[in-house]
Amino acid sequence: MNRLDAPVSAPGSLAGPAGERYLAEVTARLAGPISAHSGIVAELRCGLLDATDSHRSAGLPSAQAAEAAIREFGDPGQVADGFRAEIAARHARRVAVALLVTGPLVGLLWIATAAASHLALRLAALGPWTSLSGALGAGIRLVAVTAAITAWAALVGIATTGRLTRWLPARPRRPPTAAAVAGFGAVGADALGLALLAAELAAAPGRLSPVLAAVAAVASVTRLLFAMRAARRCLALRASLA
Amino acid sequence: MRPEALKGHLDGILLAVLEPGPGHGYAIMEALRVRSGGQVDLPTGTVYPALHRLERAGLVQADWSEAGGRRRRVYQLTPAGRRALDTERVTWQDFSAAVSALLHPGPAPVTSP
Repeated sequence: MNRLDAPVSAPGSLAGPAGERYLAEVTARLAGPISAHSGIVAELRCGLLDATDSHRSAGLPSAQAAEAAIREFGDPGQVADGFRAEIAARHARRVAVALLVTGPLVGLLWIATAAASHLALRLAALGPWTSLSGALGAGIRLVAVTAAITAWAALVGIATTGRLTRWLPARPRRPPTAAAVAGFGAVGADALGLALLAAELAAAPGRLSPVLAAVAAVASVTRLLFAMRAARRCLALRASLA
Repeated sequence: MRPEALKGHLDGILLAVLEPGPGHGYAIMEALRVRSGGQVDLPTGTVYPALHRLERAGLVQADWSEAGGRRRRVYQLTPAGRRALDTERVTWQDFSAAVSALLHPGPAPVTSP
């Protein structure tokens, strides 16, 4: 039998009182969002049960086998610290993918809003928006630049947390940094979009498509709030890697 | 042996342990101890995160499977992981040959006057 195919001797999902206390200590010290912890803790629980089985097979009574397994797994703080970079990378990847997917969708809603509105905005949505002058043109150009920075940072976040890591040097702080930049970029782009909407409403309230504008505004506010929270969490994860 | 001593070679070692067949986290830790004659005893906080990193890089595949009422996360090499292991072996042979030559130097070369 392959050495890795260890037999299962004791079915069950809990690691006993001492084991569960140990796992609770590890969980309390894990960085990042709680959603990232459950899989890690479940895997550690299985490992702890397997280690307990191994010590019991070696002749130790159950209680001592559990204690030996806990000693073998080591200090809860060190176990949790070992996962910091991995949690940061996975969270950064989720944030980067979410921003990259939602960006074009929110952008299309704004373009649809502009296309269904008055002439200047129709030009902005469908025509040579780069030739627009005045505050509207400057605002739209700024949104485009911010959106481009967001997309670039999100792509860096995705690239540095996937298959390319085989060939890239290990730099654990890069993914949360890229995801935080993407998050703040998205906050900027959405805030600018909302500011342009507010300016248009103040200048010519009757010339905007109310339904499309409302949908785009709700989408932008939702994305802004998500991006702000995600970016701050990525910064915290980055700081934990120092 | 301290984990720092294996820096740069941990990925290759984990891939090599998985070469004979799939395994879960604790079995991999045990295999490291047994195959190294007890010299390599890596801590939990090193082995499990490294396996997750290898999974992210596509060098191993991890799936939850249930046996005997216990769910385990089982890792196995991907084709890319096998290729990476081959590369790691060549790199290690070159590295160990170079370090051996430095640590065990032969007679000094004869220099012309």
